[in-house]
Amino acid sequence: MSAPSPAAPAPSPVVVWLRDLIRKPFFWGIVAIVALLLLNVVKDPAYLAITVNPANGNLVGNLIDIMRSSAPVLMIAVGMSLVIATGGIDLSVGSVMAVAGAVSMEFLKYAGDSASIGVAFSALGLALLVSAAVGAFNGFLVAYVGLQPFISTLVMMLAGRGLAKVITSGQNTAASNEPFRWIANGYVLGLPVVFLLALVLVIAAGLVVRRSALGLMIEAIGINPRASRMAGIQPKGLLLTVYILSGLLAGVAGIFSVATVMTVDVTRTGSQMELDAILAVVIGGTSLAGGKFSVGGAAIGALLIATLDKTVLFLGVSSSATPAFKAIVIVVLCLLQSQRVRSWFTSRRASGGPGGGAGTRSAGDPPPSGGGGDGGADPGAHTVSSGDGAAASSPGGAGLASDVEAKEVAA
Amino acid sequence: MAEPAPVVEMRGISIEFPGVKALDEVGFRLFPGEVHALMGENGAGKSTLIKALTGVYPIDSGTILVEGEQRRFHGTADAQSAGISTVYQEVNLVTNLTIGENVMLGHEVRGPFGVNWRATHRAATEALARLHLDHLDTHRPLSTLSIAVQQLVAISRAMAIDAKVLILDEPTSSLDAAEVDRLFTVMRQLRDEGVAILFVSHFLDQVFEISDRLTVLRNGQFICERRKEELSRQELIAQMIGKDLETLSSLGGNRRAGETEGEREEPLLTAVGVGRRGAIEPTDLEIRPGEIVGFAGLLGSGRTELARLLYGADKADSGTITLRGRKTTLKNPADGLKRRIAFSTENRRDEGVVGDLTVRENLILAVQAGRGWARPVPKRERDEIVSTRMSELNVRPADPDRLIKNLSGGNQQKVLLGRWLATDPDLLILDEPTRGIDVGAKAEIQEAVAELAAQGVAVVFISSELEEVVRLSDRIVVLKDHRKIGEIVNGPEVTAQMIVDLIAAHGADTHHPSPPPPAQPAGNQPLSARSTSAPADPAVSETTEEQS
Amino acid sequence: MTHLNWTRRAIGLVAAGAMALALTACSGGGGDTTDDASDGTADTGGLTTIGFVAVGPEGAWRAANETNIQDTFTEEAGYDLKFAPATNLDQKSQIDSFTSFVDEGVDLILLSATEASGWEDSLKRAQEAEIPVILLDRGIEPDDTSLYVTRIAPDNVMVAEAVGEWAVSQFPDGANYIILEGPAGVGVVNERNEGWDAAVEGSSLVKVAAQTANWSTDEGRSVTETLLKANNNNIQLIFAQNDEMGIGAAQAVKEAGLTPGTDVKIATIDGTKAALEALVAGDLSFVHEYNPLFGDMALDAVEKTLAGESVEPYIIVPSESFSDVATTEAALPDRKY
Repeated sequence: MSAPSPAAPAPSPVVVWLRDLIRKPFFWGIVAIVALLLLNVVKDPAYLAITVNPANGNLVGNLIDIMRSSAPVLMIAVGMSLVIATGGIDLSVGSVMAVAGAVSMEFLKYAGDSASIGVAFSALGLALLVSAAVGAFNGFLVAYVGLQPFISTLVMMLAGRGLAKVITSGQNTAASNEPFRWIANGYVLGLPVVFLLALVLVIAAGLVVRRSALGLMIEAIGINPRASRMAGIQPKGLLLTVYILSGLLAGVAGIFSVATVMTVDVTRTGSQMELDAILAVVIGGTSLAGGKFSVGGAAIGALLIATLDKTVLFLGVSSSATPAFKAIVIVVLCLLQSQRVRSWFTSRRASGGPGGGAGTRSAGDPPPSGGGGDGGADPGAHTVSSGDGAAASSPGGAGLASDVEAKEVAA
Repeated sequence: MAEPAPVVEMRGISIEFPGVKALDEVGFRLFPGEVHALMGENGAGKSTLIKALTGVYPIDSGTILVEGEQRRFHGTADAQSAGISTVYQEVNLVTNLTIGENVMLGHEVRGPFGVNWRATHRAATEALARLHLDHLDTHRPLSTLSIAVQQLVAISRAMAIDAKVLILDEPTSSLDAAEVDRLFTVMRQLRDEGVAILFVSHFLDQVFEISDRLTVLRNGQFICERRKEELSRQELIAQMIGKDLETLSSLGGNRRAGETEGEREEPLLTAVGVGRRGAIEPTDLEIRPGEIVGFAGLLGSGRTELARLLYGADKADSGTITLRGRKTTLKNPADGLKRRIAFSTENRRDEGVVGDLTVRENLILAVQAGRGWARPVPKRERDEIVSTRMSELNVRPADPDRLIKNLSGGNQQKVLLGRWLATDPDLLILDEPTRGIDVGAKAEIQEAVAELAAQGVAVVFISSELEEVVRLSDRIVVLKDHRKIGEIVNGPEVTAQMIVDLIAAHGADTHHPSPPPPAQPAGNQPLSARSTSAPADPAVSETTEEQS
Repeated sequence: MTHLNWTRRAIGLVAAGAMALALTACSGGGGDTTDDASDGTADTGGLTTIGFVAVGPEGAWRAANETNIQDTFTEEAGYDLKFAPATNLDQKSQIDSFTSFVDEGVDLILLSATEASGWEDSLKRAQEAEIPVILLDRGIEPDDTSLYVTRIAPDNVMVAEAVGEWAVSQFPDGANYIILEGPAGVGVVNERNEGWDAAVEGSSLVKVAAQTANWSTDEGRSVTETLLKANNNNIQLIFAQNDEMGIGAAQAVKEAGLTPGTDVKIATIDGTKAALEALVAGDLSFVHEYNPLFGDMALDAVEKTLAGESVEPYIIVPSESFSDVATTEAALPDRKY
């Protein structure tokens, strides 16, 4: 890791950027991805190699595979991050994937024409429409009926899969349509279409959320719904919008997933994907309690999950050990993200780098000074910045002893 | 009281947070058997000093002597073992444990087979008995007690470890008058037993009632230490805010001079028979542009409930509201906002601030909500709102990117006021805008309100401090038991006492004062925040803190 | 208090959702669904009442199997078959159906268990009520043959052994192979591994990797893709434990620039129509049927049981295998699943 150079009196923009990056909650997600890739490289030095398939000019490589397989979870993680930010949760995304897959496959099967772009678009539109409708139903239950999001979407999770089975009469419908297949298997500029599409949608979602006031309002609702209402925000419409978005994105994920093999497996398409999505969101630094969220962070989380899945296969971890391996990686990651562990980390850096980044950075967050404040202080952060025995007034002076004391106070 | 050796002496204490000198060479002495009030505005350094004394913050320089011995605290446990106990503003007990467990938590009596619960509960009962709380069943969950009694239990807990020093940080902020009396009785008793008590409160009358000695801090610096008798209220306030009180006292005069100016104009809002079952009886009301209408009444009189109907925070189930000559229904806050009504709630924490958002985001929230999410407020406009409101209302610290939850109560209130002003309202409803904030911030908010009215904004001003209402309002609507019982046009002859008398006289036979008469008559209890004391208390009309 | 209410509401809702599901599942299962909440006495005009505790929608194989059973035990044949599929593959719903069949006093119960363990109590209850039970397809654990009359099923071990034997014969000089398994720990997976291992033991085939692809085409493809890369495409044989994963594997093989059948041979188990089509198209090299159509054998066993004759405790359903394009093409039109 490249620590910011402590010597520079006025840190360069690069250093500032790096420092900000390190403070992002999803920083550890990036670290984990890199670590997993390195692990693969250790097994096979050529792991990262990307070659050009001479037959069609497409890029081939493990990284490309990761990109392609990350597309569905990227989609649902973005939707999930919005829902979680409002203080809700959407357990139905996996089932919506199956519904979207079932609708598109059935439609393609009956439309027959396996080369028609029009048919592909119709299948796409129909699947997205149904997904949005399921999302709207969730939103309706949450916003207008006032049910707990967990319950509403749990019902949809069960009912959605039932719906998918009804649509295909319990069969695993397969169909053929080249344009539709292209979505998940095609290449543009040598890169998989499905990943490019996912990337475009993630960026679009990120821009919509941050360029409009949607993000701010979602966060406000998630943090304090009553205060948001009193400030004139109308949470019902907003919640409905968010659940529809989540449904739509899950529909896209379902299409990505079935288009890969042109078969919908009503019991298994999207199965347990809601958990992957929640995990991705958490890795991305969004609290399950709602509030501040990061679309970019959720995307990093999704990429990490895809990388993890592929790594397990590449390293040849045995099937029975796979869940444990994944669990260990995630637990370590969550530990690194925890406030307390991070404060240990910062305190170590604070004493190590005199005058440099960490100490002064935490200046942004001192506790409310003085009397009668609401006591929203973060003792950990404070302790770090002020240290003990003149640490703050003479920044270079914090020795090992005071560092140890600081940690005691933090704990 | 002859001055024995101080039990605690802090010398030259400095604590610096990056960018802020929270304490600058502050000295502080605490003697056994006295109640010592630590005074200062929000941000003066009171909490920091307490946290230094209790080992929460390490000090950068200076010494702490406990009973003449130099001590260095590395945590609250250190301070506790030195006999220093703290009861914080928000009672930090475990409500789903029993009373006894709470009192003895961490100090359970241990036998050969683990905790001896019977002995533990016995010890708890003894500790409670010191505060005359031995009638409590220590096996019941703490949550069955009122907040006030919980507060007393918290003190019992602090005393269970034989504290020589007891620190009470804003212990009265959520208590009613009778409960405050009960607390004070306990405090006096502990004082007489030789315990040194450090007391922090925003209520000046309480400070003058209970304390023996006062130390004033301002901007992290020690200003003075006096015995209570040596300091008048005016002097104290002047010391705390560092300027004389002319600005404060001149305000009321200005308003009264212009009292009838608004009469000629068409009403901005006319309410006829507006009410809501269980909240407020059907009420008639007129509010004109540029007018400040005070709502006076006790907590629960219907003043907040009425205000909520005028904004749409709750939906009225009877009557009509006419706004600028047009009939209107207000179904939700968004409706009120759309019609250029703004409502600043009394419940700052739950209905006001969005804690994890920045000051900047909190400021623009209402403006943004009015436009919907698809039309974001342009950056230039946002910056302008933020810089205007923050400087106009003197929000401290002046950092818009700080999370609002890290601001003091007074500054949060200013941000909320700024949020509503940014919507450019025609009618601004302020429910308890000055509660729980210090004198300086209070004055700034009052000034801002007067200024707004002068610009033609209609203001509804609700406060538990009648003097404040009387001083600011052109007209005062008096409410009682969910009903409007009268309206007073303000003038030089109107006093808080008149309003108190009106409330007391109205249907006196049907009024049941809820709290039992205090065991010990309140010395000079203000009709201040959340006070539900018997309204006829002769002390009520006495000066509150800002009155000159 | 509020928490309690919340929980109660939650349970109610989930139950409602589950019920809705059960309904959709019924209609999804096709065929003549019978309401199991019908009259208490099962004596309907001389028909023999049979309760069928089924798995419900799970895939093509299951659909074929259960439709076949339903088509066998018709009223014309003298049976009133009460079809009770599981709700979302949930064992508890199966136990409930089983219990209500016992309470109704049906003449015989057919059981396709979603999970092998946890059936002792229910089976004992049936025994006390003197209702014979015949297991279809899946067995129970522990396998206490005194609790049921017979189990009629194709034998996973035998089927997998046949696949292994084919593989050994195809690669007399040895080959690298990978196995795509079902979810770890499932009985079927263990049995299919057991049969395969028995057949390839001592041969020169080298197992490079065995990974789960959760029975699904999607994952079959994704797993194969990575395993090929991890081994520099040096794989000559893929044993997919079901057809879906095998079809996914074939796509990955093609994606990697290899030719299925030439560079990599893929063998699967189940014998669905889709798999046979893939075999004809050259994607799969060997498909071993896991025959779902044993309605006749079940009928025979039921009749014998009800007549008091003795029945073998385990009746193995014979299954065919396909490797030749011409025979497979000929078999295709008659494929029911």
